[in-house]
This record gives sequence, structure tokens and C-alpha cells, in this order.
Amino acid sequence: MFFHIVLERNMQLHPRFFGRNLRENLVSKLMKDVEGTCSGRHGFVVAITGIESVGKGLIRDGTAFVTFPVKYQCVVFRPFKGEILEAVVTLVNKMGFFAEAGPVQIFVSKHLIPDDMEFQAGDMPNYTTSDGSVKIQKECEVRLKIIGTRVDATEIFCVGTIKDDFLGVINDPAAAA
Amino acid sequence: MDNKGPVQKTVVLEPFIKLVRLLARAFYDDYTTKSDNQPRTARSDNRGIAVVVLDELTRKQWVREEDLAKELKLHAKQLRKIIRHFEEQNLIMRDHRKETAKGAKMYSVAVAATTGGRAEDKVKFHTHSYCCLNYPQIYDIVRYKLHRMKKKLKDELEDRNTVQEYGCPNCQRKYNALDALRLISMEDDAFHCENCNSELVVECNKLTSEEVADGDDNARKRRREKLRDMLQKMEVQIKPLMDQINRVKDLPVPDFGSLIAWEARAAIAARENGELNPNDPLRSQGGYGSTPMPFLGETKVEVNLGEGKEDVKSNGGDSSLKVLPPWMIKQGMNLTEEQRGEMRQEAKVDVGSSKLSDDKKSAMEGGDEKDLLKDEYFKAYYAALIQQQQELAQKQREEETGGEVGAPDNELASTSPNRQVGMKSKREEEEDVEWEEEAPPVAVGGNGNYKVDLNVEAEASGGEEEEEEDIDWEEG
Ligand SMILES: [Zn+2]
Repeated sequence: MFFHIVLERNMQLHPRFFGRNLRENLVSKLMKDVEGTCSGRHGFVVAITGIESVGKGLIRDGTAFVTFPVKYQCVVFRPFKGEILEAVVTLVNKMGFFAEAGPVQIFVSKHLIPDDMEFQAGDMPNYTTSDGSVKIQKECEVRLKIIGTRVDATEIFCVGTIKDDFLGVINDPAAAA
Repeated sequence: MDNKGPVQKTVVLEPFIKLVRLLARAFYDDYTTKSDNQPRTARSDNRGIAVVVLDELTRKQWVREEDLAKELKLHAKQLRKIIRHFEEQNLIMRDHRKETAKGAKMYSVAVAATTGGRAEDKVKFHTHSYCCLNYPQIYDIVRYKLHRMKKKLKDELEDRNTVQEYGCPNCQRKYNALDALRLISMEDDAFHCENCNSELVVECNKLTSEEVADGDDNARKRRREKLRDMLQKMEVQIKPLMDQINRVKDLPVPDFGSLIAWEARAAIAARENGELNPNDPLRSQGGYGSTPMPFLGETKVEVNLGEGKEDVKSNGGDSSLKVLPPWMIKQGMNLTEEQRGEMRQEAKVDVGSSKLSDDKKSAMEGGDEKDLLKDEYFKAYYAALIQQQQELAQKQREEETGGEVGAPDNELASTSPNRQVGMKSKREEEEDVEWEEEAPPVAVGGNGNYKVDLNVEAEASGGEEEEEEDIDWEEG
């Protein structure tokens, strides 16, 4: 799920960035530091949308660096158990398959793939129905439901299922081509 | 509708006692104080003891554990073990205090005042433990237990929402699907043990772990059958418990409060209604501010909001589809008969309060009469509304037949008095076409959707021009 939230971060800036561009420098550094990172608590920071406030800088003892507390608005992406996501398959093996939904990696184990889909080894390992009408392989797009998340301080990993109504392959570029 | 002021409810202990007794038999029948590895001789086999204890507790309120042990002819230690088990399960409240002459006296008075029993007079003045069934929690606990059981079986049955587990055949280390990212090996795309690098296999430590369902379809099928069987059996076995749960659902819960509070209330009650029989649990409480009954806890004022509506649903709406209120049904909606309330409409209107089902009667315990009144009001209201709409349709049709030659007489004849709104409006679509011929400036797009509302409006003003105006408005 996406959230628009306000976060705070203490930015350390070298004096060479001071001057009338100080604020711009701070913001561009903030973007570089924060966007694309993941915190277990808030999820993945997708994009910074605005700066709420920049506090007074504090000179750090012994170094020339100055710390600015910056409050910023950002869009975060945090997957939840029970959430439905659309993801791109990245790897298929006999244990199941991996998929990516933006920054999130999801693993779908074999027992959560419909029973009528069999694993086919080969150059392009895949899961296929007996009539060959549905095939899950690399680059496929699938709709899946998250059934579990592992949230570490800097990482979120999910396990999902496609064994439910309206889940499964939604678009197969290989088949379309 | 707004007749919901503070409602004083009579607390009835009886259904809750039954709930506890059923609960005891359903879940604690097998409980034994002996651990499993001890040899079980016929003599030491004390299964069923937990049921005995719980049953006895339903006859008491707060009770000194020592007295309870004596009455049940149980060893105090044994009893304490059982009680502690139930305390962990949140079924029982406990209190411990250093006994004083005054405390012992208070307790004896309270026991005499509430259950008419007699407490042991000669108590040693050391720390004593008291316990009491935790009625306010029990309802939730039972529901939670049942829910967990069912969910576990169902999830297992469907293999849903279970995170796959993997094990290392070499060093027995366990992993699950959430570790997948770390386990995947770049060489052969298989999962490998972090410890010894051997390839992992799918684990199956499910309820029916005898069969290893390692991709073996037959084993999986057998397992599934077994689970389905279990689930069915469970449904049958817990049925009485479920019924009881549903019965107490809307009843006010008896709450004895803490030991001290209970004793204090009992003392007041004993003093004030000395000669009255205070043991009658069915005696209703007086108004707010009157003497609180010692065994019922503090007088509680419950604002009973929207409970009536729930009742209607649970009593009649056994299908998953909700019955839409008649004013919500519009032309063109694809509804089932159930949703239209087709089957239930007659029943709703005809059945008076005298023909209430047993369920409803039991729901009436504890002052749900107001809800019923409300129901009745709704029924009457909807009946009136439907009739109004039908009359109106009739009128319209009559007007048409006056103006046009080929009026659909047959259809008129088929207009039964208890026609449903949805069906009627479907017919009116045809009429609409005719109307359009009469009054050219009519927007065709979606005017059908307003049909039901239009009827009501037209009734209010009682004119055909009004109808036309409305249609014009739709167009704009
Ligand atoms: Zn290993």
C-alpha cells in the first residue's frame, strides 16, 4: 500500500555546499540519500514530494559538518499481509517463483501455485497447465496476494499466493509476441 | 427510530452457566493434571476433573480455593494446578490476600448473601486464594478458540496462507519461504542450506504429518480427505456450543467484579434487603441508582445502538446476500429474489409478534422488545410504501388506458397486490417507451434509473405534469 507521510532526517552537509544554494543542496542530497531506501517501519521510500521544514543547523564538534534536521513529505510503499499486488516474475524454479512489484520481492512457493500447474524444467523453466493455456515464466506479469511479510530494519520480503480467485497470470509478453 | 435511550438490561446468569458447562465439556474434557510421560494407571487417571471444577464454579461466585478443594474432595495442590491452568486461559479471575478476621467475615457474609451457601468459618489467617469465573471474558474466549480451530483446519485444507517450510535433510535445520531470498543458489536455482549447503526439501509438519506430501499427489489427496473429515466432525461436535454462543450473543454479561468489590456490594445488599431473598438471580435490577445487586456487578447502563438491525440480519438473512431495502431497488438492477426480499416480504409483513421464532424469543430476553417494536415498525412502513407504489402504478396505468387504445389489459390483470418494486419497475420500462411517444422531449439515457423515485414524487404531487417536469430535469 502507498502512503504519503512526513518523515524527518538529520542531514549532514559540508560547508562547501553553503551559500545561497544551501537549501537546494540539502534537498538534492536528501533525495539521493533517501529515495529508494527501505525501512522496516515505513516501507520503501518511493519519492520525496516536498520539504516541510529545515531546522537550524548545528555545527558538529571537531568536524566542519553541519547537521540540519529536515522534515520532508514522501510517498512510501509498504506491503501488507492480505494485500493484492501485481508483479513481474523474475525467476522460476522447482520450489516456486520469485516476482517483483517495484522494489518489493515476493516468493510464491509451489504449494501456493494452483495444483493443475506443473513445473517444466529447461532453458526457460516455467509452470504450465496441462493444456498449456497458462504459463508462468520469467517476465510474466502475475497478480498475487501477499500472505506473509518479513520486515527487517532495512528490508522487506514477502511470500505470496496465486491460489485463489482472480489471481495468476495477467499478461504474458512471451505468449503475446 | 430514536427510541433508544439508555436501556437497563436484566442480567441473566443461566445462559452463561450453560455456556461454561458446554465449554468445559468441549475443550477440557481431556485435561489431566498428570503430565503425559507419567504412567497412567486407572487410579491416577483424573481426566474430566477440569469439567468438575468448572461446573462447581458455575454454582458459585467468588470462592475461596481451599473451601472449593474441600467440597470437591480434591487435594488443594491439585485444584490449584487446575485453577492456574484456567487462569492462564483467562477463564478464571483470581485474587490472593492475607486473611484477617474481618476479611473472613466479609467473605462469609458475601457467600451467604449471594449463593446462600456457607463459608468455612475457622480459617487460618494466612494468605488465601480466591477464584471466580470470568464471565465477561468467556464469550470472547470461546469464540476465539472456535475461530482458531476452524481457521487452522480450513487453511490447512486449502493450503492457503501457509508459509511453506523447508528442511535440510543433512543437518535438520528448518527454513521457510520467507527465507527464500537467502536460500536461493545462483548455480542451480535450488534452495540450499546456509549451514551445510545441501539442497533443501519441502517440509510437511502439518496436522497429518504421517504422510510426507512431498509433491506426491496421492498423499496430498489423502491428507485433504482426512482434514475435510475432521472439519466436518468438528462442525457437528461444536454445534451445541455454537448455538449457545449465538444465544448469549446479545445478552448482558454477568460481572461479579473484583473480590473486594463483590464483598462490599454483598455486604450492602445484605444489610439493605435483609429479609428479602437476595439469591433470586432472576430478580431484575431496579432503575439506575437503586441498590446494585451483589452478584451482578455494578449497575451498567448500556446504550443499545443498532442491535435491532443486527437481529434482523441474523434471524432472516441466512444467505450471504443482503436484502436490499425496497427504496434502494432501482430499475435495471440485477438482483436475486433473496436480495429483493421476495421470499421474506410476506413473512415480514404478516407475521405478528405472536409468531416469533424461538430464536427471536430467546433474543427477547434482556429487553430486546424495543428492537422488535422497531422491526414491526419497519415492516409496516415497507408494506405501506410498497402498497403506495403499487397504487400509483395502477393509477398511471389507468390513465394510460384512458389515452391509448391498445392498453395492456393482460398485464394489468396480472398485477398482483404483493408485486415487488423491482419487478414492477421492469414493466414500466415498456410504459416508458409509450410515454416517450406522447411527450417527445424525453431523454432516453438512463431515465429508467429514477423510476422508483419518480413514482414517489408523483404520488406526492399527484399530477402528470409533475412527472414530465421531472423528466425534463433529468434531461438537463
Ligand atoms: Zn544443512
